[in-house]
Amino acid sequence: MADKWIFWFNELRSEHNDMVGKKCANLGEMVHLGMRVPPGFAISVDGYERFMETTGAGEEIRAYVLKNKEGLKNAVGKQIEASRFIRSVIQSKEMPDDMKLELWKHYEKLCEQVVCPNVPVAIRSSGAISMPGQMETYLNVCGKKDLVTKVIQVWGSAFTTRAIAFRLENNMELDKAPIGVAVLKMINAKCAGVTLTVLPTTGDLSKTVVEGNWGLGESVVSGEITPDSFIVDKESGKTETTINKKTKMVVYKASGIRIAKVPAELQEKPCLNKEELEEIVRIAKDVEAHFDMPQDMEWVFDSDLTFPENLYWVQTRPAKYTQKKEKQDEYLAELMTRIFKM
Amino acid sequence: MKIYDVVPGLEFDPERDFEQSPAWFLDGTHSIPPWTPMFGWFWINFCRHGMQYGAEKLSLPTVKGWDWRFMKGGGYLTLLLVKSQEEKQRREERFRKAILPFIEDYEGLWGGFIKEILERYEHLKALKLDEATNIELLDNFEETINTCRRMWEIHMYMMYGTYTAYILFENMCRELAGIDDTSPTFHRLVSGFDNKVFQVDRRLWQFSKRAEEEGLVDVFLQNEPANISAALATSEKGQAFLKDFMDFMNEDGWRMQRMSEINLPTWVEDPTPALSNVKQFLMKGGGFNLDEERGKVAKEREAAEKEVLDKVPQEQKGWFEQLMRLAQKSGIFSEEHDHYLDLYTHAMMRRSALGLGDRFVKEGTIDDREDIFFLIPDEVRRAGINPDQFDLRYIVERRKAEWEEWQKTPNPPAMLKEGFDMDQAMGVLVQSNDPIALKVVVGAMPEVRPELKADLYGTCGSPGVAEGTARVIMTEDELHLVEEGDILVAATTSPSWTPIFSMIKGVIVDRGASLSHAAIVGREYGIPVVMNVFEGTQKIKSGQRVKVDANLGTVYIQD
Repeated sequence: MADKWIFWFNELRSEHNDMVGKKCANLGEMVHLGMRVPPGFAISVDGYERFMETTGAGEEIRAYVLKNKEGLKNAVGKQIEASRFIRSVIQSKEMPDDMKLELWKHYEKLCEQVVCPNVPVAIRSSGAISMPGQMETYLNVCGKKDLVTKVIQVWGSAFTTRAIAFRLENNMELDKAPIGVAVLKMINAKCAGVTLTVLPTTGDLSKTVVEGNWGLGESVVSGEITPDSFIVDKESGKTETTINKKTKMVVYKASGIRIAKVPAELQEKPCLNKEELEEIVRIAKDVEAHFDMPQDMEWVFDSDLTFPENLYWVQTRPAKYTQKKEKQDEYLAELMTRIFKM
Repeated sequence: MKIYDVVPGLEFDPERDFEQSPAWFLDGTHSIPPWTPMFGWFWINFCRHGMQYGAEKLSLPTVKGWDWRFMKGGGYLTLLLVKSQEEKQRREERFRKAILPFIEDYEGLWGGFIKEILERYEHLKALKLDEATNIELLDNFEETINTCRRMWEIHMYMMYGTYTAYILFENMCRELAGIDDTSPTFHRLVSGFDNKVFQVDRRLWQFSKRAEEEGLVDVFLQNEPANISAALATSEKGQAFLKDFMDFMNEDGWRMQRMSEINLPTWVEDPTPALSNVKQFLMKGGGFNLDEERGKVAKEREAAEKEVLDKVPQEQKGWFEQLMRLAQKSGIFSEEHDHYLDLYTHAMMRRSALGLGDRFVKEGTIDDREDIFFLIPDEVRRAGINPDQFDLRYIVERRKAEWEEWQKTPNPPAMLKEGFDMDQAMGVLVQSNDPIALKVVVGAMPEVRPELKADLYGTCGSPGVAEGTARVIMTEDELHLVEEGDILVAATTSPSWTPIFSMIKGVIVDRGASLSHAAIVGREYGIPVVMNVFEGTQKIKSGQRVKVDANLGTVYIQD
């Protein structure tokens, strides 16, 4: 087991996927691309395993799984029971002192860095392989004690019923969970949203779509409200703007998040101004060029900082979209050209 | 008086031609046995033209088509390689655009060409040969020459484009799903489609069903194929059957038993080969159902498609599936083009030439109508309008004597410059990246696996395992020797062999690649085909018991 099990994002690249999980590796890659991501660090899969071994939780789970394995197949009731049992085992364990100290050391450093004692953080799971039902996220976590509790809870989320069912279906080991954890400074979101560097419905690669709302990005991602929409031509910058009436937004509460009413004067006001929109599109184009693939990205503007330092990126991944037939045709023609070079 | 070369300007000349290229390969698929002079003239001139036309229209980056020479009834070919890197780049730029029509609308492209060429045939057939004037007959012949020229343009443009897509699909299957064109799963992916050749086959099978219903089975089973037609004519039901059968021949019988020659009757002239196919279906008995057999292959394809698509990453699925659909059309094209292009055009050549042949016989220019196949178009023109003024028998006599000589000694498989060996020559073929050379001529080299203790090693042309009596068939004339349940052993096969695939259990061919005839038809009939065994026809004797395992590419001689 490696000694080092916590990494700053700038120490990570996409090739560290297996070590820290996809989300963390991706954030590391984004830092190296010059994208501003929320300050924070990653807890590696090793960190999780160290916890499981030193506390004995791993042993208890293995024994339980060994005993119940056959009965678990295709038995939802048993799977729910297993999930409850395993998660309670994990959550009943204290984090070993040396691990606590290491975690707190990084948290303190983060507080110093952002000049904010007990800085509120988001704690997100970061699986090395995509697995449904393993997406536990705790927002607005403040202070060392809560940090430890929530990290352990994220680890436990590797054993939700859905995650157990998935592993059974795919013949994966039940007692192993390659799970990393991302600890990120909470952004005091003025507005947030998503950007796609392709029109998802037609596959038009000449356009970038930006959708946003006031407050946290969750309202846009979940599709609960109709956000403002900006379709920007990548070449000319010509923009098609649709401003919608935004009545609700997602904000923090003391612990976690809640839905709040958007103040009347903001409801029909664009959530982005011209220069903010341009900055988003500029960076999105760069990132797309780097990966050579249309991107699906999440951004947030911090109300505590000034433009352009207030633009943070929390996600970029290959966009899913309907490929435009002409583009696909040209791609095939290009591939055919290559066979003459072999 | 001087008798001209058979193909003036394109006769093989070792002194000059080895300077151009050190290796010339015999086209064994098409020019064994040696061609008649007239057919050789058409093939060498226009197949050569078509390949260079197709390669140029598509601007293939590495190859400019093939050059051809004529020698003793054999066609010899060599590749025209693009020489400089700069030129390759320029051609590559153009190729990217030129290939798009195949990707955008393959069916529209191929369908358009079928329409164009069928219109030409209809126009040629519209002339009533026995009533036409000499001028009209000569015009018809000139138009046939142009039709043949155009046919080869379409043929090679389509073939180059189609096979390029097929090769890409093969590469992508290897890269994304880990299977290549010698794998059974791959073959299932490209089988089970309907095409014109199978439609003709199905019509023949349907006629066999009708014979059963109308009590005509005995007429077929108790007569030699050549006598079936006469025997049918003795009953009323038989006459009605024969009338419908001849209508079908007039539609789809514009083909000869040998694809690349014109000296055999077409099915329209003599339906014996077609009636013989009906007889073979009847001999299989009532249980045989062609549609059912073909349906099974289609089902297997759908399962294979799912298996492969599941392995392809989500974001690559879109174009991969499009490419797969395109590659699947390669097999359809490979079979169908024989029907619409080669076979039909050659039947038109025969028809038009015989129209003049009859007239020449009448005027004493030649002795026999088929003697016209020993003349070349310039000589036909000499006597075309006033045949009574010319006696061309001395040309026919000498050419025929030569042709008979050609039949006695086989042409060498390759003409190689001194110091140049076959391996080097094959190397050049592979280097060219020429899609046709790779997929039809060369093929994958078999892997010899001593642990399997096989007698012959080849590659998989169509998956499966079978055991049966070997039947070694060297020419079309011997096809009637094939019996139900045999394992066919041949140097190569051609489209006129297609109907026997419904009788046999497996195929072993000396040479072939995944788009050669035996492989495509074997896949459609769901029988195993082992290819590129090189010495099958030498090592195996008719009557021996053999086992083929196409999945492993092995052949076992059990006697």
